[in-house]
Amino acid sequence: MEQTPATQPMIEALGLTKRYEDETLALDNVSFAVRTGQIYAMLGGNGAGKTTTINIFLNFIDPTAGEARIDGIVTHKEPLKAKAKVAYVSENVMLYPNFTAIQNLDYFARLGGKTSYTKNDYHDVLRRVGLEDEAHTKRLRSYSKGMRQKCGIAIAILKDAPAILLDEPTSGLDPKAGFEFLGLLTSLRDEGKAILMSTHDIFRAKEIADMVGIMNAGKLVMQRTQSSLAGENLEELYLQFMAGSVERAA
Amino acid sequence: MFATLLQKELKSILLSPKFPATFAVCAGLLILSISIGIHEYQVTTRQYETATQMVTQELREQAHWSGVNNRTYRKPDPMQIFVSGVSNDIGRWSGVSQFEPVKLRHSAYSDDAIFAIFRFIDFGFIVQVILSLFAFLFTYDAINGERESGTLALTFSHPIPRTTYLLAKIAGSWLGLVIPLLLPVTVGVLLLVLFRIPFEASHWMKLGGLLGVSMLYFSFFVTLGVCISSLTRRSNVSFLLCLVAWVFLILIVPRVGVIIAGQAVPVPTVAEIEAQQDAYSKDKNEQHMKSMEAKFRDREALMSGMTKEQREQYENDHMWSWMEENDADQKQITKDIEAQGVKLQEDLRNRKALQERLAFSLSRFSPASAYQLAVMSIAGTDITLKSRYEDGLRSYRTILNAFTEKKQKETGDVGGIRITMDSEKGMSISAPKENGTLDLTDMPQFAPPANASVMPVTDIGILVFAILAAFGGAIAGFLRYDMRS
Repeated sequence: MEQTPATQPMIEALGLTKRYEDETLALDNVSFAVRTGQIYAMLGGNGAGKTTTINIFLNFIDPTAGEARIDGIVTHKEPLKAKAKVAYVSENVMLYPNFTAIQNLDYFARLGGKTSYTKNDYHDVLRRVGLEDEAHTKRLRSYSKGMRQKCGIAIAILKDAPAILLDEPTSGLDPKAGFEFLGLLTSLRDEGKAILMSTHDIFRAKEIADMVGIMNAGKLVMQRTQSSLAGENLEELYLQFMAGSVERAA
Repeated sequence: MFATLLQKELKSILLSPKFPATFAVCAGLLILSISIGIHEYQVTTRQYETATQMVTQELREQAHWSGVNNRTYRKPDPMQIFVSGVSNDIGRWSGVSQFEPVKLRHSAYSDDAIFAIFRFIDFGFIVQVILSLFAFLFTYDAINGERESGTLALTFSHPIPRTTYLLAKIAGSWLGLVIPLLLPVTVGVLLLVLFRIPFEASHWMKLGGLLGVSMLYFSFFVTLGVCISSLTRRSNVSFLLCLVAWVFLILIVPRVGVIIAGQAVPVPTVAEIEAQQDAYSKDKNEQHMKSMEAKFRDREALMSGMTKEQREQYENDHMWSWMEENDADQKQITKDIEAQGVKLQEDLRNRKALQERLAFSLSRFSPASAYQLAVMSIAGTDITLKSRYEDGLRSYRTILNAFTEKKQKETGDVGGIRITMDSEKGMSISAPKENGTLDLTDMPQFAPPANASVMPVTDIGILVFAILAAFGGAIAGFLRYDMRS
């Protein structure tokens, strides 16, 4: 993996603003940075701007102002270069239902430029994410949501990108699967990946995130390191910020 | 990258339930149509050979060269197996003689009208109607279906150029359709060999041309399907739009073109032309009768003061010149009537040609029409088949008539009953002696017109333009496409 200078954030938002054609302000001057070996949890309710932020990092939409950078590459200026350095897991991982897990993995690994993986590598990574061996050669149409999420994270692992974007990855997972998922994220962080995760799950965010940001109505209203949150009740803080914004809006 | 995308696309199609359904329908229809085509070709070839032998036998059994009445049959062409075109609509034989004009009569559809209602399903029809529909079925959700299922966002989280993805989508769907086309065609080719259908090098080239144009044709529908999919967000909308486009391009535009041309350039019916010809002929004959009556009155006036003997003498002296004069008048009238007939026919042909040109030009707004015209042109079963044959038959008629006249002069045998007027011997009636059968060894034979297979440059150009336009639309739509689910 290409090494990034310790001072340069792997994932960086600089004054990110998105105003849609109907004048809706989805993001308002959002800035944050995620360094290698860090997990950044973006908290916020529906419509807070979390998914919009991730979509800008993936160049699915262009920012109205500001820049999203992956390893210093501005995503809307050099999208292909930036995408080569990022893996993505969506809230609801959808893969090709007529393909087996191995076939899906092989396809997406090749799209990520990884052509040297063997079948054993695919089996290993599927085992790593917690998929039983007999499921590896089953078509995805028979998979539950949890199994698909595991496949999604396996695809992200195989891409071996220095940055990982996760959009509500634990949404809809049962507690056991959610717990296993967090274990995987921790191991990926330990491997030196920079992880940006949007989530509603305050407890899990507090548990594993190195940085927590709270977004509301397109604004990053709070940003704290894990150490600064040690003595605080994150849930209370979250509710305070949300309520505060509601009051401001009112 | 392209190879990975293409491989996945093809694999997706092969694993989807659409593929076995498409393959079964295409394979079943194509093999069935080729089998029926081979059977029909064999039957019509046998009919042709039997009828030709019978005509030769009938000719041989005729006693006199005078009034030889030949009948020429249209030779079946093996390309009809693939594209029947107008071959079942036009007559299968024409009389070739001094006394009747060339006209192909008794088409397959006029003999068996039920086939005209449920027309023959050939290779051209299957590609034009069925494969184009399957092309839409393969592609209507090519882009928006992936967006709806959520795979588009995951795919484009990888560094993939949009044009590469689009090309792979088109190529994958295209290959998915080529397989259901080429495998049964290969079986069809084996059937041709098995049943010893006389396919010469030129026929193989034409078959290659048919396949090439067919691939161009469904490339258009594949590209248009992807284009519509990349311009819409929901697959049910694109499905509906594809269906509307299919109905419009396959069923409406070609027919509307013909209807407009029919209104813009009216062409008289055969009955109208015959009525005009009859009227002209009647008018001319009446004029001739009046002229004859006037001449008769003049002659009577000249003989009015004569005695009976003088009158008989005068009539005997002038009878021959009067007969020659009458004959010349009659010949002139016949010539005028024939010239008028030629003029009317020429006018009819010109109008028809103009109407056809306009109808084809308008209907070519649909690539389906361009394809149909192209494959008919390649197979040699296009709209010119009738005129090509009739022109050939007319030339043959001229040659045959000259030959029979020559033979009559050589044998001194003009057939019929001879009435001789002689000033000394008076009038005598004689019948020619029987000659037995005719020797046909040096009689000119009808050579079917060369199957003028023309490379349909205009139609191929239209198909290429349509593909490029659809591809342009797909690129424009997809470059702006919102990947988010």
